[in-house]
Amino acid sequence: MNDMIIVIRSLSARRLTSAVTIGMVMVAVALLLVLLSLREAAAQAFRRGTGNVHLLVSADASPLVAVLNGLFYANAPANPIAWSKYNEIRESFPWQWAIPTQLGDSFRGSPVMATDAAFLRDFVPVVGSPFAWEVGGAFEREFEVVAGAQAARAHGLHIGQKIVLNHGTSGSREGGHEHADHPYTVVGILKPTGSAHDRALFTNLESSWIIHAEDRRESEAGAGEEDHEHAHEHEHDHEHVAAADLTDADKLITGILLRLPTRPGSDASASIAPQMDRLRRDTSITVAQPAQQIGRLMAIVGDVDWLFLAMAIVVLVSSAISILLAMISAMELRRRQVAVLRVLGASAWRVFALAITESTLIGLVGALLGVALAVVGCELASALLARRIGMVIAGAIDGRSASMVVAGAVILAALAGVLPAVKSYRTPVARHLRPLA
Amino acid sequence: MAARPNTINSSGGVSLTGVRFRYPRGFELNIPAMEIAGGEQVLLAGPSGSGKSTLLHLIAGLEEPTQGEIHIAGTNIFQLRAGARDIFRGRHIGMIFQTFNLLQGFSALENVMLALMLAGYASHDQRARALAALDRLGINEPDARVEALSVGQQQRVAVARAVAGEPCVVLADEPTASLDPANATTSIALIQEAARNSGAALIVTSHDPSLRSAFTRVIEVAA
Repeated sequence: MNDMIIVIRSLSARRLTSAVTIGMVMVAVALLLVLLSLREAAAQAFRRGTGNVHLLVSADASPLVAVLNGLFYANAPANPIAWSKYNEIRESFPWQWAIPTQLGDSFRGSPVMATDAAFLRDFVPVVGSPFAWEVGGAFEREFEVVAGAQAARAHGLHIGQKIVLNHGTSGSREGGHEHADHPYTVVGILKPTGSAHDRALFTNLESSWIIHAEDRRESEAGAGEEDHEHAHEHEHDHEHVAAADLTDADKLITGILLRLPTRPGSDASASIAPQMDRLRRDTSITVAQPAQQIGRLMAIVGDVDWLFLAMAIVVLVSSAISILLAMISAMELRRRQVAVLRVLGASAWRVFALAITESTLIGLVGALLGVALAVVGCELASALLARRIGMVIAGAIDGRSASMVVAGAVILAALAGVLPAVKSYRTPVARHLRPLA
Repeated sequence: MAARPNTINSSGGVSLTGVRFRYPRGFELNIPAMEIAGGEQVLLAGPSGSGKSTLLHLIAGLEEPTQGEIHIAGTNIFQLRAGARDIFRGRHIGMIFQTFNLLQGFSALENVMLALMLAGYASHDQRARALAALDRLGINEPDARVEALSVGQQQRVAVARAVAGEPCVVLADEPTASLDPANATTSIALIQEAARNSGAALIVTSHDPSLRSAFTRVIEVAA
């Protein structure tokens, strides 16, 4: 027999109340830890996705939207950039590379980026970790496609498989129209990068330009036929366009990824700001510095997640209050128990310590269960976020945070036990030994 | 068998000198002198409200007298600080109540072991000593929760808890008040035998005149 058994027996005598209060502490601790962990993991995931791009050019409404659309596949950019503009920008400065990108098509909800070979070769999605091949290799000719790791897994893609892309992205107005005339062949599958690029597919620009050129010409021909009272109905069905037939009007892109020359081993360039200022004078385009925009985004999101953190802390404090209330509501039973313990030789300080130990134990057990729940919660939240937004936000419970949150929960629980402990200490023994009325 | 920890004068009884206790409503309990020898068995008789229970609480050190001295086995218990008095009570005084006051959620064995722990017995002695006390009192399901035991068994556990630590004095407050006459007689005999076997003085309060015949000494209490 020891004091801990007395405490455990006291808790088990009020099994339901004890379980509910432990549950409240558990949920509060888990919530706090998951939020802390995902907050950091989300920031890292966003920082990862921008890779080694210095500047991003698009025709989106704002730099932040440009980055979210162009590098995180949030939506297909609404406005195109002409190929001539790309050439103008590419030739305006000795960039290390200038990669054109076009977004707008999708495969079963996964975004498809049309780009050139430099994207898979020179763009590094996670600093220090360039794209690597799980199997196959880069596209080399029209209608070949490379799948990101998650897209390949989600759709069960394999090398040599023929797939048909959709015009528009999932949820966009254009979504649903298939480019059935031009099936693509899967030629490569990338290894996971932990960035949004894992859920995308990649093909070359010419393929995309060809199918859109055919679409446009078909639609223009259709309009013409209507004007001529359907005189040549279906005459222009399946008018195929070759790469050589593409005009400047067909060659539209939605973004340009730019990297300035840097010294070996360095990612920074002193020319970023001047080049950005120069490009921004062109009002037909939006220029964004991805790292800076992600910093802005995290600052905005940071305000919101502080709100969530504050809510989690409120839940933690309210769980401490529930410990206090549970112990106070059990006071009549406790007073009799305290009176008996005092008769048997327990000092007032000892019964005070027993009450504090009881509330502390509730806090400790709840907090440890909360850590376990947080580990599971992080896994679930990561899986959910990966499925919903296609980003690997792998929240891991950091030992230091977990220790601090557990210590905080235990201290709060111990403090919650002070009032019941004082009441125990002051229990008039003789009065509570009398038979209950 | 392990010796009782910190034994003082095991043959010593209870001595009250000039004890007065004033109730909040103005009544006063006045005990000019009372001597109960070690091993003696005494009935404190008197009507309800006469102060019998208060006197027992004074002897146990649970209530503090307005004036006077109470010695248990030679120790003036009100010269001890509160914490020391609690420890003294655990080691040298056993108490039995009308409603037993067993700890709910604890087994019979744990109720007795708890008393032994608070009496200062080492953990390795507690189990054997508690099992022996329960066995002597006829409890053959020591691991049963006390709330699962019959009223008679609960009283036996309460008696075992009071005597297991071999106290100097056992105080029983109206132990038969809720029993019928036949069970009351059996019950008081059980308590007397247990106290006798442990060598403790026994002080029983009761307003039941039928118990007088069971005691060689009866002290009338009147507030």
